[in-house]
Amino acid sequence: MTYRTIGKSYPRIDAIGKVTGTTLYPGDRNYDDELWMKILFARRPHARVLRIDTGQAEALPGVVAVLTAKDVPVNEYGLQIPDQPVLCGPGSGKEGADVVRFVGDQVALVIAESEKIAAQARDLIRVEYEDLPVLADPRQAMAPDAYQLHPHAPDNVAAHHRVVKGDVDSIWGQCDVIIEGEYRTPFQEHAYLQPEAGTAYLDEENRITVHVAGQWTWEDQQQIAHALNLPPERIRVIYDAIGGAFGGREDMSVQIVLALAVMRLAERGVRRPVKIIWSREESIIGHCKRHPMTIKSKWGATRDGVLIAAEVEVVSDAGAYMYTSNKVLGNTTITCTGPYEFPNVRVNAYAVYTNNLPGGAFRGFGAPQGHFAAEMQMNKLAEALGMSPVEIRLKNVLDDEKTLSVGTPLPGGVSLKQVVEEAARAGGWEMAGGAEKNSPHPCSPAPPPPRFRGRGFAAGFKNVGFSFGYQENSWAKVALEGDAEIQQATLYIAGADVGQGHHTAMLQIAAETLTLPTDKIKLVVSDTAVTQSSGSASASRLTFLAGNAVKGAAERALARWQDEERPAVAEYTYLAPKTTPFAEVDGEPSTPNFAYGYVAQSVEVEVDTETGTIHVTRVVSADDVGKAINPRQVVGQIEGSVVQAQGYAVLENFQVKDGYVLTPHLSTYLIPGVLDIPDRVDSIIVEHPDPRGPYGVRGVGEMPFLPLTPALIAAVHDATGVWFDDFPLTPERVLRGLSKI
Amino acid sequence: MHTPTPGLPEFDYVKLTSLAAASQFLAEHAGEARPFMGGTDVFVRMRDGFWKEKYIVDVKGLDGMDEITFDPATGLTIGASVNMNRVIASPEVNQHYPVLAEAAHTVASYQLRTRATIVGNVCNASPAGDTIGACLVLNGTLRVHGVDGVREEPLSTFFVGPGQTVLKPGDIATAVSFPLPPEGYAARYIKLGRNAIGDLAIVGVAALGYPDSSAPSGYRFRLALASVAPVPLVPTQAEAILAEKPITEATIAEAARAAMDACTPIDDVRGSARYRKLMVRNLTRKAVTEVWERIKG
Repeated sequence: MTYRTIGKSYPRIDAIGKVTGTTLYPGDRNYDDELWMKILFARRPHARVLRIDTGQAEALPGVVAVLTAKDVPVNEYGLQIPDQPVLCGPGSGKEGADVVRFVGDQVALVIAESEKIAAQARDLIRVEYEDLPVLADPRQAMAPDAYQLHPHAPDNVAAHHRVVKGDVDSIWGQCDVIIEGEYRTPFQEHAYLQPEAGTAYLDEENRITVHVAGQWTWEDQQQIAHALNLPPERIRVIYDAIGGAFGGREDMSVQIVLALAVMRLAERGVRRPVKIIWSREESIIGHCKRHPMTIKSKWGATRDGVLIAAEVEVVSDAGAYMYTSNKVLGNTTITCTGPYEFPNVRVNAYAVYTNNLPGGAFRGFGAPQGHFAAEMQMNKLAEALGMSPVEIRLKNVLDDEKTLSVGTPLPGGVSLKQVVEEAARAGGWEMAGGAEKNSPHPCSPAPPPPRFRGRGFAAGFKNVGFSFGYQENSWAKVALEGDAEIQQATLYIAGADVGQGHHTAMLQIAAETLTLPTDKIKLVVSDTAVTQSSGSASASRLTFLAGNAVKGAAERALARWQDEERPAVAEYTYLAPKTTPFAEVDGEPSTPNFAYGYVAQSVEVEVDTETGTIHVTRVVSADDVGKAINPRQVVGQIEGSVVQAQGYAVLENFQVKDGYVLTPHLSTYLIPGVLDIPDRVDSIIVEHPDPRGPYGVRGVGEMPFLPLTPALIAAVHDATGVWFDDFPLTPERVLRGLSKI
Repeated sequence: MHTPTPGLPEFDYVKLTSLAAASQFLAEHAGEARPFMGGTDVFVRMRDGFWKEKYIVDVKGLDGMDEITFDPATGLTIGASVNMNRVIASPEVNQHYPVLAEAAHTVASYQLRTRATIVGNVCNASPAGDTIGACLVLNGTLRVHGVDGVREEPLSTFFVGPGQTVLKPGDIATAVSFPLPPEGYAARYIKLGRNAIGDLAIVGVAALGYPDSSAPSGYRFRLALASVAPVPLVPTQAEAILAEKPITEATIAEAARAAMDACTPIDDVRGSARYRKLMVRNLTRKAVTEVWERIKG
């Protein structure tokens, strides 16, 4: 199949504006009559707000308003369940809303003539707290006598998933080898370039209009409308340029409070724009993090390396509120047995409320944690059996017939064998044979001691879309104008371009479907006044879902054009194949997802055994994306995932003590710099089309993140002989593992 | 927990035309005025609310503070407002005092080094200051203009505690100078951070060695350690070992252990005290070994 537009690396349509600095991010929007907002964060992990005295703050010249819980019409929100107060404190009528449950809970809003005055006034607010017991650890929170953080969650369990297949209990005796491990994964901060910011005002139709950077305009609109007790059409959400998201913008940050301020000011006769820009410190304490998890795994196999049984227990730190913890846990539940077939499986997974920062969406959405445990187990199993980590994977990977732990095969065409072989070949691995054949690939001379080199391998898979019973959908609209020929096409979409290049990809799909050059197509994006729901920019879903919507709308508009309609306009909402939640009954099959992407990686490292520092010399990543709409953007996703995952594995050390964040700056929480990233990343784009994806598309945003940590840790094991069951592999942890400290 | 405020607090920016006037002003406003050079520490601390000075006295460009001069007879002088990138690029520095450039190169980023200065790094007196160790092993001296005139402050007695020095209100450091280095010397600064560039030192080790017939070993070494004590630390016991015993792998290891024993580091988010001590041992061994390889006959 040859295509005119897709499969080509078109330059990003947002590139020139971003490079020249003309692009407006939400914090760049200036108005002559703007007001500034600052938020009083709780900055304590668990306490009841007894009294808030705003008198001094309100008396400060230049302060326009101070808002607290009593000013919030419906003082609750949340993507999955509304368990979080908009503002914590007394007087809102919402039960439990007077309690702060993590340091980033919001207590009061100050709106003033300048940011400086707003900050001064914020510091004049006096809050009387009664401290409550701090639950800093999920195990502690699950104890029977622990303080109950939410009335709906006995034992503080926010979510529990259970998957059973076959009969795990009676099978261990038939296993020739059993591998057991307990794995711990850390927090991770999104560290997007652009901290949370936004501006809100009343538009010409009196709609409360919020300019912000998020991941799903429609959902933001719903959340704001609920808290303000207004019909959604009274709220308008517009996305300006978005400086990275990685999942961290899926939940609310400044959206509701900006809209609340505009509403309350208007009631007082003040109709002026309100603006807020979070500092980096506010961003780091104010939004969710990747869930820390503890995963206990017991796997059994035959001496030939065929997997027989897996028993896994997952405990995830959900933090103070639900956010998407239940959905994240679903992905961990599925991925904690890896992309392999087991005849016998039992997984019990718990997400537990604590007084830590909420766990939320972050690139991989539970799958990095699941894969860490699974791929560590697989690599230990290969070692125990003297097998190549490639060979043991080829023997066990899922294919079109084999069934996942939930009792059903993976839909959409399974290419695991192919990605494993591609990554292995490029990484110089033997496909078969004993471990002795897996000495590091001699691509460069071995370093002198105390540095040692090693190589590791891992594979992965990830669902495309939220699913688990949720009816995935995405909307698009295409309008065609002209007479005999189409002069101008307009594409309306609401998928968030968070920096991944979504708008460019959709333009390419529209151009391909309409057989138009891209410069004849105008884009109208992410404004709830003129766009509907394209769904969230998350779950590696947007190219698949929104691509299908764009393709469907373009095909329908074209049909109307051919029927001589002028202009020819078509809207289309793509509905993905149906999925089901996990089965209620043990052993019953379920179909939690409709599409997947696949990945395998080979990682080479050098470990300095005197300092404990790790340098990544090479990463090979083979990713089945179905069809690369824009190959350069796909490579960008692969390289970006690899670097972010390397930070997760080695460098990023988010430290929390008793609910307080010890690393609230980018000087204390480090992310990889240009000299820290791998010397070389070989991105191999595999295209095994998904028949239901637009032009065969799967997804790519998350998959290359998944195997990196276990492959890197296997490489460190290869270099040092030591397995690390927790990370990040800070130099200190490495030396401790080597018993040198 | 510290509450961040946007931007800087209000203060008066003061720029005077002479050092005498600046010293006078600073002395008259003791406790509420502070001199600044590049501002890379001053403004961050003011933004974060740790420093609340009413007056910030800009002393850049006063009386020849913007010059690097090398005199083959007396040595090198780096004016207080010479930024680190100029030090790194200086031919005289690279020819005669390359360890200064090596140390400056480990500080933060290129952009920051266009503002940051060696003298500022010294006066900020952070135990983690990356250029301080190099200045110490090169026997640096600070030239200070105070209300009573100009005096010299040897760096060996300059540091009192974290962020604290012997400087008094009215004192303005105008330059750091270094004597001619010893014949046949070599020096190194090894920094261990959490990342490759930009981080503060978990540990930093500066080592300088040279042949000296008056020493029993035939060599003398000067060492200075960053981030492992309340002040930049000179491990004198380690230096004595290297002067007294024939230089062998075992002697170097013994000196490295002595350096480790001299440290009193703390636990922080960058690393534990225990890790820091071990890294002092390993990096001192490494730095001294490398210097030794270059100076031995």
